[in-house]
Amino acid sequence: MKEHEIGTLRFGLDLSLPLYEQIVNQMRGSIARGEIALGEKVPSVRELAQGLKINPNTVMSAYKELERDGLTETRRGQGTFITHSQETVDQFRSEWAEKAIDDFIEKMDNLGYSLEDISSIIQRKKEGRV
Amino acid sequence: MKDPVVQFRDVNLSYGSRMVLQDFNIEIPSQQVVGILGPNGSGKSSFFRLIMGLNQPDDGEIAVLGHSPGWRNNHQIAYLPDRARWYGNHTVEGAIQWGGDLLPGFDSMKAKELAEWMEIDSSMRIDEMSKGQEARLMLIMCLARKVPLIILDEPFTGIDTHSRERIMDALIDYVTEGEQTILISTHEIYEAEGLFDSVFLINEGQVALSGEAELLRAEHGSMMQLVKKMSHGGRGL
Repeated sequence: MKEHEIGTLRFGLDLSLPLYEQIVNQMRGSIARGEIALGEKVPSVRELAQGLKINPNTVMSAYKELERDGLTETRRGQGTFITHSQETVDQFRSEWAEKAIDDFIEKMDNLGYSLEDISSIIQRKKEGRV
Repeated sequence: MKDPVVQFRDVNLSYGSRMVLQDFNIEIPSQQVVGILGPNGSGKSSFFRLIMGLNQPDDGEIAVLGHSPGWRNNHQIAYLPDRARWYGNHTVEGAIQWGGDLLPGFDSMKAKELAEWMEIDSSMRIDEMSKGQEARLMLIMCLARKVPLIILDEPFTGIDTHSRERIMDALIDYVTEGEQTILISTHEIYEAEGLFDSVFLINEGQVALSGEAELLRAEHGSMMQLVKKMSHGGRGL
């Protein structure tokens, strides 16, 4: 794992996994957790590519994906910015969380755990008994 | 899909009785950064020498930018051979002047920009340079050319970390702007592997595995792990 800090963004890239997904997911996380401020300018494709030592095409496709998420906006001639809308970020965050939960439940279901089983495991976790 | 930049069909190359490339087939896509990876002695440099027409194959077909290799074609290629050395008592400025006069597509302004950015003083004498400085200059002489194909054979070997980072940054900068195809061979894969759009793994004179870097990563892990597996005799990749 290589650690990188570019401006306010922090990345840990694992070269044995697709880089594109790692960049998209880590930036989504930074935005969802509020580590990058709303309206903040993100590094240019060149800056991020040089900072991470990766192909600029990879960065470009990651930026396009974030734009599809609605988390960033590109302003002609000015660069790419985090959205100004807290609402968009909140909505994205809850949808993402929902999806993570669904995936988790599906995996547990596969192993034969019911929702009840799951919630009792979580309850025990909360009480620090596991 | 565009025509491949480099195409080899059933190419064999031997030096004396030693087979270097055997039934070698490859198609290099255009406008990409392409990693040519493999253990030492796997045939990477020989592949480049065939592209440049510096060696002739025993048999097989080779097309480079749609033509057969040779000096008529080479004005379209910037080639950094491994173990490249400058000799003579040029200064950096003199080298850039020389490039402008003699190298097709050489942009002296661009070369000066690159030199400044790579921290190469233009009055510096080449025979007084460190290995790292000289490697940076060699790279500048390649990247300052507006040609469709750039070939860098082991651009990182024997170079200090600072120079490597500078070279990586220059390459990334170059790729951001350009529409060229860049072939890079290296066995220092860890530093460079994020740079590749696609990768060809060469082993024992053949293409053992190839594909888009991101897909290979998803399937096999890092390029470095792949090459390691290969050089330990790993089959069935």
